[in-house]
Amino acid sequence: MTFDFKMDQPQPRLLDSTRQGLIGTDMARPEGLLKVTGAAAYAADHLPEGCVHGMLVRATVTRGRVTAIDEGSIGDIPGLLGVFHGPKFIRNPAQGMAGESPIRPDTEVHFHGQPIALVVAETFEAAREGALRLAVTYESAPAEVDPETASEVESDEPDTRGDWDDAWGKAAARVDLTFRTAGHVSAAMEPHAAVAEWQGENLLLRGALQMVATNRLELADALGVEPERVRVVSPFVGGGFGSKLGIGPEAVAASVAARDLGRPVRVVMARQTVFDAVLRRTETRQRLRLAADADGKLLALAHDDRISNLPGEGFAEPVSSASRFTYDALAMHFAQEVARNHRTPSGSVRAPGEAVGMITLEVAMDMLAQLLDIDPLDLRLKNVATSHPMTGQAFGEQRLADCLTEGARRFGWADRPAPGTRSEGDWLIGAGMAAAARPNALQESSARVRLTPWGAVVETDMTDIGTGTYAILTQIAGEMLGLPAERVEVRLADSDFPRSPGSGGSFGASSSGSAVFMAAKGIREKLARTLGCDPDDLALQDGIARGGNVERSLADLIDGELGETATVGPGKTAETHASAGFGAHFAEVAVHRWTGEIRVRRMLGLFDIGRVLNERTARGQALGGMIWGMGGALHEALEHDPRTGHIANRDLANYHVAAHADVPGDITADFLPVRDDHANPMQSKGVGELGISGSGAAILNAVHDACGARLLSIPATPDKVIAAMEEG
Amino acid sequence: MDITFLLNGETVALRGVDPTATLLDWLRGPRGLTGTKEGCNEGDCGACTVMVADDDGAKALNACILFLPQLHGKAVRTVEGISGPEGQLHPVQQAMIDHHGSQCGFCTPGFVVSMATAHLNGDTGHDDALAGNLCRCTGYAPIVRAAEAAADAPVPDWMRDEAALAAAEESPRNAPETADELAALYAAQPDATLVAGATDVGLWVTKQMRALGPVIFLNRCRDLQGIEETDAGLRIGAGVTMDRVLVAMRDRHPGYAEMIRRYGSAQVRAAATIGGNIANGSPIGDNPPALIALGASLHLRHGDTRRDLPIEDFFLDYGKQDRAPGEFVEAVTIPAQPDRLRVYKLSKRFDQDISAVCGAFRITLENDVVTDARIAFGGMAGIPKRAAHVEAAITGRPWDEATLAAADEAWAHDFQPMSDMRASAAYRLATARNMLRRAWLEDQGVAANVLEVRA
Repeated sequence: MTFDFKMDQPQPRLLDSTRQGLIGTDMARPEGLLKVTGAAAYAADHLPEGCVHGMLVRATVTRGRVTAIDEGSIGDIPGLLGVFHGPKFIRNPAQGMAGESPIRPDTEVHFHGQPIALVVAETFEAAREGALRLAVTYESAPAEVDPETASEVESDEPDTRGDWDDAWGKAAARVDLTFRTAGHVSAAMEPHAAVAEWQGENLLLRGALQMVATNRLELADALGVEPERVRVVSPFVGGGFGSKLGIGPEAVAASVAARDLGRPVRVVMARQTVFDAVLRRTETRQRLRLAADADGKLLALAHDDRISNLPGEGFAEPVSSASRFTYDALAMHFAQEVARNHRTPSGSVRAPGEAVGMITLEVAMDMLAQLLDIDPLDLRLKNVATSHPMTGQAFGEQRLADCLTEGARRFGWADRPAPGTRSEGDWLIGAGMAAAARPNALQESSARVRLTPWGAVVETDMTDIGTGTYAILTQIAGEMLGLPAERVEVRLADSDFPRSPGSGGSFGASSSGSAVFMAAKGIREKLARTLGCDPDDLALQDGIARGGNVERSLADLIDGELGETATVGPGKTAETHASAGFGAHFAEVAVHRWTGEIRVRRMLGLFDIGRVLNERTARGQALGGMIWGMGGALHEALEHDPRTGHIANRDLANYHVAAHADVPGDITADFLPVRDDHANPMQSKGVGELGISGSGAAILNAVHDACGARLLSIPATPDKVIAAMEEG
Repeated sequence: MDITFLLNGETVALRGVDPTATLLDWLRGPRGLTGTKEGCNEGDCGACTVMVADDDGAKALNACILFLPQLHGKAVRTVEGISGPEGQLHPVQQAMIDHHGSQCGFCTPGFVVSMATAHLNGDTGHDDALAGNLCRCTGYAPIVRAAEAAADAPVPDWMRDEAALAAAEESPRNAPETADELAALYAAQPDATLVAGATDVGLWVTKQMRALGPVIFLNRCRDLQGIEETDAGLRIGAGVTMDRVLVAMRDRHPGYAEMIRRYGSAQVRAAATIGGNIANGSPIGDNPPALIALGASLHLRHGDTRRDLPIEDFFLDYGKQDRAPGEFVEAVTIPAQPDRLRVYKLSKRFDQDISAVCGAFRITLENDVVTDARIAFGGMAGIPKRAAHVEAAITGRPWDEATLAAADEAWAHDFQPMSDMRASAAYRLATARNMLRRAWLEDQGVAANVLEVRA
C-alpha cells in the first residue's frame, strides 16, 4: 500500500482552528431517523427476488467425524431444495483481521454445535424442519472440554522486567491472588445473518459484519474465487462487539448454496446458534501478584493467566495487556498458558484482555491499599506509569492521574464514610474505584472525499456497528470543508469503497476518520491554490471560502467536482510513543446482608480519549462499556455442559446481559479535554472498549467496602457474595 | 384458520392461516415489513415488540411468540405504523434520536413500540415499561431519558385505532367465544393443545420446534377473563393476564403485586395468563408459591363437570399435574383475608429472570405467637411446594429469633433442592432460610425490601 500520509511526527491541531463548529459537538447521528422508524435495513431484512432460505445444521457430538448425511431422511419435506456441506464450509468465524479463510474441516467435528451443513428450502419453516430432522451419522472421538484439566497446555516465555526475587523479597506488603472469570459472549442484538446473491461470476454478500475489506478476502479464500469477484456490503449492523469481525459460517454456506442453486440464499442464525457457533470470550484463571514498600510504591507486579481455545485456533485473549503499562514497578512478570479444549472456540469479545484482566489488576490494587492502609486513590496516584514500563516508550499523552483526581472530586470520594460503616436497613452501602486503560492504535485506512457544488460525499468501507461512524465522518468532513452536516453524505461498508480496517479494537473512528481528515485536507490545499492563498490562511465555513482577502462560495470555486483519496497509516510515532486511552471509575453499591444481592446505585466514569470527535456518540460508547463491565462483574457467565462442553445457557433468558433494572439511575460518563499529538493527525484515541476496562473492579471494590466480602470470581452472584461475607 | 385484523390502520384478512404461524414470521416474510426485528425468537429481548389494541386498550406484545390467530379482531401497530402517515415522527422516535437512545439500532424498533404504547397509555413508569427490551449498546440510561423527554408530548392522532376493528367477523372454529364452548370443544378433542397467551406454548414452537397438532385458542373466551368478588373470595378467571393480576393484587397483597412487577416483562405480563402459569406446572412458576400461601383454591372443569381443590394439591410431581385429559383450569379463588403475605423472588438478574428461589409466606400472629403458617416455595423442588416441616416448627411458638433457630433443622426435611446454573443446592437452602428471617425482620419494622433502598 502506498501511503499518502504516515504518522511520523505530531501534526498541527488543525481541528482546533477550523470554523464550522461541528467537530466534538454532540451532533445526533444522521441515520437515527432510519433507525427509529424501522427503515434501516439490516442484512436479514433483504429478500431479493427468488430468495430462498437456509438453516445451518450443527454437530451433536463434541469431536469426531461426520460419516454420513442422509439427505433421504428429509426428502419428504415440500419445498426442500438441497443439503449442502463439504470442503468449502468453514468451522467457525474468522478471527478479526485474518484476511484468509478459517479452518475448513470438511467432515471433521471439533466442537459441539459446530455448523456442518446447510439445508435450503423455499420457505424458512421447511429449511428449519429439514435442519432439525436431517439424519447425520458420526464417528465420535474422546474430547477434553475442561480447561482446568486439559492435557495439552501451551505456554510462551514470560515477558519480564527487572529482578523479581529482589523486588518481591524486599516488599513491606504483598498481594498474591487467584482470580477467575467466566466465559462471555458478545450477544449483539442482531443475530448473524447473510444474504448471498450471485450475478454471473460475481458474488454480492449482504452480511452482518464489522470489517468488510478482510471479510471479502476471507470469503473469497473459503470459496476459492478471486477477491475481485466478491463484494461485501454491511451498511447497518445490529451490534458487533467483536462477534462479527470475521466472515462466518452463515456467509460461506449461503454463498455455496446460492451458487449451486442459481438463486439468492438467506441464512440467519437462530439465537442459540449464535451462542454455539460464534466465537466466545475465554474463561480465565489469573494469578496477580503485587508487592509494595511501606509507602505504597509498587516494587513488583506479575499477571499470569490461563485461557482456553480449540487446538490450532490462533487467538489468545491478551489478559495482561493493560497491566503492562498502567502502573510502574521495578520488576514485572507476564506469562500466559493456553489450555487446548473442545469448547466453542474463543476469540475477540469487546475489550479482549482488559475486560477480564483489568478487573483483576484493580481488585488487587484495592487489596494492596487495604493492606497498607492507604487510600486506594492515593495508592494509584503514587504508581501511575510515566512511560511504558515494558518498552520504555514515552506516552503520547497520558492523563490517568487527572482522571483519577478529577473523577474522585466529582464523585465525592473523599467524603465517603469509612468502610463497613454505612447501612440502610439490611442493605450495606459501599464505594469503590478503579482505573481504566486500553491501548490505542492507528491502522492503515483509506477514504475518498468528493466535493461538489452540493456538498461533500465521503466513501470508505468502514462500518457503523452502532458506534457512530456516520456521525463522526460527517463531522470530520464538514468541519474540514466548512460544510454544515446536512451537506455531507457518508457512504459506508461497501467493499468496493476505499479500504479501511473496519470496526474493531477501538481503532475504527480514529483510523478511518484520519483518512477522511487527510483527504479533506488535500481538498483544502487545492481550494487554497484556486483561491490564491496559503492553505494555513484558508478559512471555510457554511460553504464559503475565505483567504488572502478573497471570499468565494465553494460552489464557485469548484469546477464540477474536487476529489481526493487518502491513505493513512502508522509511522514513526508508533515506535517512539505508546498510545492508550485511560480513565477512572467510581461506583456505589448496596449489598443485602442476608441474601447477598448486589444493587449498583451510582457509577461515574471519567476518561482520557484524546480529542472527542462527537461527544454524544463517545458518551454512548463509554456508558455502554461501563454497563458491559457491570454485567461481566455481576451477571454474565457461559455455562458449559461438563460432559460435552456444549453451552448450556445459550439464550438471552439464561445468559444474563444487563437489563434496565440492573442499571443504576445515576450513571454518568465524561471526558477530559485532551489532545494526543502522537496518536494520529486528529489527536484522538479510541473509546469503544475503554469503558469496560476496570468498571467491574470499581463495583467489586465497592462491594468489599460495603460488607467486607472480597469477590475473586466473576460473576459475583449472590451465593458467592454470601460465602465471601462469611469468610470476610 | 381464517382471521381478520387491523395492521397499521389497514384491514388484513388472511385465509388458511397455520395456527402456529407467528406474527413476526408473517410480518418479516409474506408481509415484507422488516422493521420489526428478531433477536431471540422466544420473548426474551423485545426486539420484535408490537402494539396490539382491543376493547381493553393497547398493550405491547412480543410478536415472536404471538400466533396469528391470537390477533383475530384486534388492531396491530408495528414500528412502521408508529410514525404518521405523512412520515411524521412520533414524539418517542424524535426523543430516541435526540437522546441517543438508538445506537446500532437493532433493538430500536422494539423500544420505540414499547415506548409509544406506554406513552399512549399515559404510563410513565419507564423502567417497568421497558424492562422487557434488551439493549447491548447504550447502557439504557439514554433510552430512559428519551422516554422521560417524550412523556408530556400529546399522543399523535394516528395512534388511536378505530374500535370497530373486525368484530363482525365470525370467530374461527377453534377459537371459542365462551367457556362452555371451550369445555365442549376440549372434551371432544382432549389431545388438543390449549393456547392462552403463548408465552410458554409459543416457545414449544419457536424454540423446541414442535408441531403442536390441534390447537385451541382461549383468548376469545371473555367469561374466563373476569375478576370478581365472591363469598369465597376473589375469583380470578384463568384467562386473566398477569398485568391485570398485578393491578388486582396491588392493594390486597402488595408483596404479590411487587413480585409480579418483576415477573417477565410488560410484554410477557400482557400476554401470559394466571391459568396458563398454573396449568403448565413449572416448578419455577412464580404464581403458585403466592397462591399456595394465600390458601387459594383451583377450579377445574371438564365438559360440564367441575371440581375444586386446594392449589397445592394440583402439583403432583415434576411435569405432572392433577388434570385429566380434556380438563382445564377455569379459575382460581383467593380467600378474603387480611394481608399477611410476603413474597420474595431471588434471581441472578433482578428483572426479567427466572427465579432461583421464590418464597411466599403467610404467617398469622396473635399476641406475637404464630397461630398459622403457610409457606411455599418455587425453585426448591420438582413442584411448587409447601414447607410443611418449617410451618409445623414455628406454629404455636413466639415469633422471635429463637423460633427461627428452632426451625433450622426442618428446612432439610422439606427440601432437597438441586444444583443448577441458577444456584447451588446449598445456596438455595440458605437463602430460603434467610427469606423466613427477612419476613420476621420486616415484622420488626426493619427495611429489608430490596426496593426500599435509594441512593
